[in-house]
Amino acid sequence: MSLPLSHSLRARLLWLLLVAILFTAGAQAVIAYRTALAEADVIFDYQMQQMALSLRAGLPVGGELGEPHGTKDEENFDFLIQVWTADGLRIFQSTPQAELPQRAVLGFSRVQARGTTYRLFSIAAGTQVIQVAQDMAARREMAGTLALRTVSPMLVLVPLLMLVVWGVVSASLAPVSRVRQQVATRQADDLSELNEDDLPDEIHPLVHELNLLFHRVRQAFDAQNNFVADAAHELRSPLAALKLQVQGLRRAADDATRDVAINRLNTGIDRATRLVEQLLVLARQQSNSAVGAKAVPIDLTTLARLALADAAGSAAARQIDLGLVQADPGIVMGHDEALRILMRNLLDNAIKYTPAGGTVNLAIRCHDGQTLLTVDDSGPGVAAEDRQRVLDRFYRVAGTEGSGSGLGLAIVKTIADLHQATLSIDRSESLGGLRATVTFTNVS
Amino acid sequence: MRLLLVEDDLMIGESVLDLLRAEGYAVDWVKDGEMADTALDSQTYDLVLLDLGLPRRDGLAVLRRLRARKDRTPVLIATARDATAQRVEGLDMGADDYIVKPYELDELLARIRALIRRAAGRAEPVYEHLGVSIDPVTREVTLDGQAVVLSAREWSILELLLARPGMVLSRRQLEEKLYSWKDDLSSNAVEVYIHGLRKKLGPRVIQNVRGVGYMIPKSAP
Repeated sequence: MSLPLSHSLRARLLWLLLVAILFTAGAQAVIAYRTALAEADVIFDYQMQQMALSLRAGLPVGGELGEPHGTKDEENFDFLIQVWTADGLRIFQSTPQAELPQRAVLGFSRVQARGTTYRLFSIAAGTQVIQVAQDMAARREMAGTLALRTVSPMLVLVPLLMLVVWGVVSASLAPVSRVRQQVATRQADDLSELNEDDLPDEIHPLVHELNLLFHRVRQAFDAQNNFVADAAHELRSPLAALKLQVQGLRRAADDATRDVAINRLNTGIDRATRLVEQLLVLARQQSNSAVGAKAVPIDLTTLARLALADAAGSAAARQIDLGLVQADPGIVMGHDEALRILMRNLLDNAIKYTPAGGTVNLAIRCHDGQTLLTVDDSGPGVAAEDRQRVLDRFYRVAGTEGSGSGLGLAIVKTIADLHQATLSIDRSESLGGLRATVTFTNVS
Repeated sequence: MRLLLVEDDLMIGESVLDLLRAEGYAVDWVKDGEMADTALDSQTYDLVLLDLGLPRRDGLAVLRRLRARKDRTPVLIATARDATAQRVEGLDMGADDYIVKPYELDELLARIRALIRRAAGRAEPVYEHLGVSIDPVTREVTLDGQAVVLSAREWSILELLLARPGMVLSRRQLEEKLYSWKDDLSSNAVEVYIHGLRKKLGPRVIQNVRGVGYMIPKSAP
């Protein structure tokens, strides 16, 4: 059975309590009735017996009893008295209308007569039989009255009890409605924590968990906001540069200045192009990792050769010695296009930040069930305190070339994450510059 | 007029630097927050063009330190951060103006002129004193209604002196306002420009206070 308002804690409590109280009251009434009835039996049986005995003592032998004086039915609990002779002749009857059948059984018995049950006590007095009877309804009536008297205070108290329960439940639930109020009135973007004070122990963990959730959502929200703010900054900067370069071109007074301005404008366009490309790569890799594209076995060495060939041009332009120093046969589970972009970004970064005439080394090493891809350079490296931050989107090391998008290592990290690989940045022991290491554990 | 350009983006920096120099400003360029702090500590500027997202120290931190030193140098924030909250924060922290990248160069120059004008306590865009009038926008100079042609440096010195009549500026102060760190300066360059100015404007306008410097008197002698 579903109770009305069964979703309300308060209503549910009230209903269940009411049912419990009524059930208890009912049980109590039944018990009281039974007990009272049993006691009435004992008392009235005793009375009937005494009545019969006293009648036998005063009964004239063979004589008439005469008519009873003044029947007081209400007071004597409907006692009926009859006297029979041995040959079945009724010689006395206390109430003329109430005739009971003659019973030969002596002692207590029950008889059905005139639509009700009588309790009957028969006793022999010489040749006569004295019968005292009482309607059982009288006993039941008395027991009923007694039972009612026991239960009635409770019936009066039930509404009072319900009121108290209502009050207590309402007071206990007040903090809950306060929390509800707090949640209901807040703005859509308000993810601040709810007040956890004065909450009942049963609700406190819920609100606490809710607050933890708010905290996590807020962090994700902030990260998103930061990204948008960073992206706005990073997208506007190349445009601002382009705009200024155009204005520089417009104001150029002579050919030499104009040439400088045109060159700057060209570099500006290259930079904006690269930023857009890198953003697209990042977005594509992130959506790949979201979609969960299927990984296939990839030979890192083959891929490394391709990436080195791609980067050879820009390395040569800066007289940088670019090479593969170790190529263990490393097969990892992954996505070849993504891994190629990863290598290309690491190599481009190394080439960009290494001064002309420097060295960039790529290596693939396998040991302990891991495959390590390392790119070392002889550039200036990154100070220990900046190493974690260079992985952030749009972070550029202070004082470095403005042509970087600040997305290179963020892309590498996204791709590494996609392959459950880790990216770490250290000092290169062999070349003195930066060492970027991608550690693959899902080796095929 | 000497400006400090705080900008970490090399492309933007070099373009702004060239364009401001072409306008006759002496410009120092620093690329991070710490260097901006150092520059502001060691040199008085007429205006700071401040980017916010800087390496080493954020632009707002630089601004806060500047104002904490009770330095009233006008600060124009030029940044790609355009959220209203950030503009409000920047202005409330003591910036005088805020311009969002990408901006029009003409607007940037107009704002720079307005801030410098206001810092000197003037509202009117044209300086006029003792019959000499100069217009910072058109760079026209007239003496008693007659146009005078000045070189860029001469113009800068005249603007500095005319901005604060009655105030004596030493040769060193004038040099600081005229040259950025990168410019070479010959030891008597200022004297050469003053000489040229006096020849073009007559001897009564710019006065030499011997051993102290140069000034344009508050009222005609």
